[in-house]
Amino acid sequence: MSDRTSEKAWNHRSADTAERMASAARFIGPGKVVKADDTVALLEAVIRAGDRVNIEGNNQKQADFLAESLNKVDKSKIHDLHMVQSAVPLPVHLDLFENGIAKKLDFAFGGPQAGRVAQFIREGKLQLGAIHTYLELFGRYFLDLTPKVSLICAYKADRQGNLYTGFNTEDTPTIVEATKFRQGIVIAQVNEIVDTLPRVDIPADWIDAVIESPKPFFLEPLFTRDPALVTDSQILLGMLCLKGIYGEYGVQRINHGIGFLTSAIELLLPTYGEELGLKGKTCSHMILNPHPTMIPAIESGWVDTIHCFGGELGMEEYVRARPDVFFTGPDGSLRSNRAFAQTAGHYALDMFIGGTLQIDKFGNSSTATASRVAGFGGAPNMGCDAKGRRHSTDSWLKCGQEQPTLNRVLGDMPRGKRLVVQGVETFGEGRAPVFVDKLDAWELAENAGLDLPPVMIYGDDLTHVVTEEGIAYLNRCADIEARMAAIRAVAGYTEIGLAAKPEETRALRDAGIVKTPEDLGVDRDRARRDLLAAKSVRDLVTWSGGLYNPPARFRNW
Amino acid sequence: MPKWNDLQGRSFLESNARDRAVGLVDEGTFTELAGPFDRFYSPHLETLGEAVEFDDGIVTGVGRVGVTPVFVISQEGKFIGGSVGEVGGAKMVNAIRLAIEFHDTLAAAHPDLTDAEKPIVVISFETGGVRLHESNAGLLAHAEVMDQLQKARGKVPVIAVIGSKVGCFGGMGFVAAATDCIVMSEFGRLGLTGPEVIEQEMGKEEFDSGDRALVFRTTGGKHKYIVGDCNYLVADTLGAFHDQIAELATKSLADFEAMRRIGSPEKVAQQLRGVALAAEMQPKDARDVWAHAGNADPVALTDMPLPDFLAQVKRLSV
Repeated sequence: MSDRTSEKAWNHRSADTAERMASAARFIGPGKVVKADDTVALLEAVIRAGDRVNIEGNNQKQADFLAESLNKVDKSKIHDLHMVQSAVPLPVHLDLFENGIAKKLDFAFGGPQAGRVAQFIREGKLQLGAIHTYLELFGRYFLDLTPKVSLICAYKADRQGNLYTGFNTEDTPTIVEATKFRQGIVIAQVNEIVDTLPRVDIPADWIDAVIESPKPFFLEPLFTRDPALVTDSQILLGMLCLKGIYGEYGVQRINHGIGFLTSAIELLLPTYGEELGLKGKTCSHMILNPHPTMIPAIESGWVDTIHCFGGELGMEEYVRARPDVFFTGPDGSLRSNRAFAQTAGHYALDMFIGGTLQIDKFGNSSTATASRVAGFGGAPNMGCDAKGRRHSTDSWLKCGQEQPTLNRVLGDMPRGKRLVVQGVETFGEGRAPVFVDKLDAWELAENAGLDLPPVMIYGDDLTHVVTEEGIAYLNRCADIEARMAAIRAVAGYTEIGLAAKPEETRALRDAGIVKTPEDLGVDRDRARRDLLAAKSVRDLVTWSGGLYNPPARFRNW
Repeated sequence: MPKWNDLQGRSFLESNARDRAVGLVDEGTFTELAGPFDRFYSPHLETLGEAVEFDDGIVTGVGRVGVTPVFVISQEGKFIGGSVGEVGGAKMVNAIRLAIEFHDTLAAAHPDLTDAEKPIVVISFETGGVRLHESNAGLLAHAEVMDQLQKARGKVPVIAVIGSKVGCFGGMGFVAAATDCIVMSEFGRLGLTGPEVIEQEMGKEEFDSGDRALVFRTTGGKHKYIVGDCNYLVADTLGAFHDQIAELATKSLADFEAMRRIGSPEKVAQQLRGVALAAEMQPKDARDVWAHAGNADPVALTDMPLPDFLAQVKRLSV
């Protein structure tokens, strides 16, 4: 036995890393600092053809300088890389495939590059591993998709190489942990190198090189919705949601998708929500980016806790001043963390509510279009019923117990269910019908050679559909026929909705499976912008006592 | 039609032209003249096959504030950006002409009229200026409105109110400048060349029209108040604008003459001192001018709530 252990080496990975780092040593100065001009040479020294590489491509902050540098390496030496990263929102992420440096992609979200992802798959420039949810992909970082080299992004480094990721910590801890503890290499771009950090988010001995980027990393205010653009129709939907779902179930632990419906709901909490007596009974614990439209509800004392996936430009000082609500560090600034927020979102939420582009007649929904491979980020983690959940809350239990057929699969065993709500106007963007016979995702699957049509939320996870026609309580339906009828009943004048039979809809209303605004006692005439707690970004600034500092593009005063 | 009382609390910024016309005068006093049922619409748009509106995007009528007859003109930015063409221009011209004629008739019959009893004109601007589809007819309409303003001078005070989405730009920026008094909210914008046009002509380096904060810092109500291009800055409600009009309605012609920014050798001299100051200062940003006016912390002025702003701000004097 002792012979065999002495013969076999168990440190191939660290030896390989040591060899690569030795060839990169000439570029690395004290404090692990590498000059920006040496970045391409550094990458050529530490990356090998066929490596699995992560470029920190978050929902928000982007390791853009490192991505651009990777695109400049000698492709005769470095090619066929396997990119594993959350998102590919920058053109340069796809240029890597165009230029033959990268070959395969495993990701979660395509954003603005979704069209090129689809095109490159068709043209054979990009081999798609899978489109994941964030948690799935993070899970695989620790299983079969561990990066060999990760190119990450932080606000600041100190002279030892410790990093401050602060407000937009997002994916960084997850990527670094997976890479470094599997003997990989971690290279960080930072906006500046300073003597003292506000706090240490990533310790220096997990980092191999630090580069001061020639310009600060790109960050977009993705989660700011201007209250001035909330429509009366979205306000009606918001009122229906508050009365027919938030109030009906007393939902405390919620994620709001981004979109104007959820912004409307946030802005209705201090007005209509207060009037319904829901304060303290709903929305007390949220998993959310720091949405500016949450400010009035927070200021009115609705919210106990908010944990964030990422940050949001302009909300820095507001969050710092509300540490009772947000997760902040000893320095006072927000610490976001996508992996933990998604974990809470997957297991500990009672409700996910968001919008979509299409819902089919069975209740499957997707934002996929025929020519874009976009992915869904974290929505499917939150927009599903977590089967591993074992703790109980009133709203979760009520939603589960309302299922008329629960006993057919579980006998007399009680079980809850996550509320998964899709709120849509029956005709959406560009007046396209939201309710469709067949999702465009099928066509995409064919165009891009995918095994599965990309579905954001599966019909069996969807519990409620809200439209201007009313609410369909799908969790109260006994079978697929009843679900389809309930969906038809709220699908308005779309082809699907026109197929609804009045007598069937009447029966569903009598059974409490479908409720119109009138059934719920929601007055359509009150659905006006006057009901919003804030009607403009300016109002949000006022609500925040001047702490919210909106980006220039949202300023109209 | 919304209730007048509801309108008073409504955001001026979000109100359409007709709601503004109704809400700027006293409850129940507004009568629309040449309204949509009269179907005065643009023959040019029809020829071009473009959609028309039966009020041509401008609401005209008459109402009352206290004892003051008020002739109202209100522009709708949602119809072709509030652009002024032949028909809309004619409606403006005739609303002012009616005010002048009414003044003359009234003054002849009642020589002892008080200032408050004499008519005024209120123009709620929301426009980028000339409707390009109508070219010369639109330009001519602007000239005719200017002509009426000159005829109204010294008889019928004309008040400009600006606080709508489109702002007040282009040829109508000149028209607004020629009124007796300008009332704005911090969401109002007033200028000649619109931000997009400046960027197009002079480049993004000169003026980035996508930087909304910059656009408002340069053309918005707070800046205009500081540099003296507007006389009053009020809150963004129809009620606040209504109340400001009510206060102005009792003022004398001499008061209005004093509020003018152009129109006499003294006013022109003052404007030229402003030009000289700009040439000397070469400000890189509106905030440089705010600081020059004596505001120690110009950055803080932007987000400052209106009452605090009005209490603290130092206005430029040249």
